[in-house]
Amino acid sequence: MNGYGFRHAVRMERIKLASVRSTWWLAIAAVVAMAAAGAGVGLGYRSHTPVATAAQILNNSLGGAILAQLLLGALGVLVVTGEYGTGMIRSTFAAVPRRRTVLVAKAVVCGGAALTVGLVASFAGYLGGQLAIRGTAIPAAPLGNGPILRAVLLTGVYLGATALIGVGIGTIVRHSGAAIGTLFGLMFVPMIVAGLFGEDGIAVGRFVPLLMLLNSIAVTSPIPGLFAGWVSVLLMCGYAAAAILCGGLLLRHRDA
Amino acid sequence: MIEICELTKRYGRRIAVDGLSVQVRPGVVTGFLGPNGSGKSTTMRMILGLDSPDRGRALVGGVPYADLKWPLRTVGALLDAGAFHPGRSAYAHLAALAASNDLPVSRVEQVLRVVGLSDVAGRRAGTYSLGMRQRLGVAVALLGDPTVLLLDEPVNGLDPEGIRWIRDLLRGLAAEGRTVLVSSHLIAEMALTADRLVVIGRGRLLAETTVAELASCDGSLEDAFFRLTSQATDYRGVGAS
Repeated sequence: MNGYGFRHAVRMERIKLASVRSTWWLAIAAVVAMAAAGAGVGLGYRSHTPVATAAQILNNSLGGAILAQLLLGALGVLVVTGEYGTGMIRSTFAAVPRRRTVLVAKAVVCGGAALTVGLVASFAGYLGGQLAIRGTAIPAAPLGNGPILRAVLLTGVYLGATALIGVGIGTIVRHSGAAIGTLFGLMFVPMIVAGLFGEDGIAVGRFVPLLMLLNSIAVTSPIPGLFAGWVSVLLMCGYAAAAILCGGLLLRHRDA
Repeated sequence: MIEICELTKRYGRRIAVDGLSVQVRPGVVTGFLGPNGSGKSTTMRMILGLDSPDRGRALVGGVPYADLKWPLRTVGALLDAGAFHPGRSAYAHLAALAASNDLPVSRVEQVLRVVGLSDVAGRRAGTYSLGMRQRLGVAVALLGDPTVLLLDEPVNGLDPEGIRWIRDLLRGLAAEGRTVLVSSHLIAEMALTADRLVVIGRGRLLAETTVAELASCDGSLEDAFFRLTSQATDYRGVGAS
């Protein structure tokens, strides 16, 4: 055998991710949050006049992603900072000294898990909304409809990308509390800042994660001025890549 | 075989390890002795490539740690009792590390038996006592059946039976021809476990000797240790009166 490689690091990270409770709690909470938000929206619109449109129900029933993104972002952060906080990181780097192999393995394993959970959560939000409006005059939003399926899928991918941003920030900051605080700050502060620009805010706002989610990704048709949903999701993946790259550069020279 | 050459590490203005050169040979237990804060743990972290030295280098079996093909199969390390996630079971902790170096699951069960944790392996490691944590750390060190063992203060928190167990274990491993480096600040314990002694203070080598030599040149081992480290002890209390 030629020595350990990427696939060994991936196997290690998979066992690690699945063997702590916080992973499961965060995943379940993300799905439940979206399902509950979807059902809540549907119930709220049942007796609403005028009768809601299919797009209104869909857009609002995916709103639970605001909470789910924080939960899955925290999952990504903890995959890294959970090791720094406990000293586990030294066991990990003693087993796999090539640190960036570890980082990429973490990103692949956590990103894959978060993408899966994100898609399930997004469908749960959609289903919650649809089930809650059954038997009313509100038109259903079939998944066979392109823009509707696209919004549900892209929301799931957005959630996966949030976890990857968490992995990157966790690697840069290393402290759980500080890293989760940084992540939450990056999610909310730019939105407030974009609001300060007033009319011109949209030029800035189309780059802001939360605004992209609510106005471009988790909607049937983006608000004018914002990017198309898939462009916004690609932008999120770009942020994630940048964060992980920064983490990888710092990882090389810092003492563990 | 561990070769340390001119190893130096600074943290800001404080110098933790200062031009340390030592060779640790196979077949005997080498005690790594020094007062608190003398640079033992830093040296061990540098051997494992966890901290990067400012100068000098450390080689294991002739290569830097980072270049080992299967690190856990070459070097087993116990760094501190707590290099694990408290929410993860001992079994999962060992299984994850085993997977990283392509070791079979049977090996996990084997080392759990050796350290006596088989019955509690499914419990979250955070619920373990200090002695059980040390045993888990020893299990990690033994996991890859390595030819070199590095143990940082392995007897901390162990009861007398545990201390004797680890002493016999280490002597047995050395007798099989492995390289065993054990750090401690307890001279009495080292006298029973180690054959050779490397004594450091303030990051510098103070003596490279054997237990027998050290004992013969001055009344007691303890006196000899104090004489050696008297100029290199950072933290010293005075009589309370």
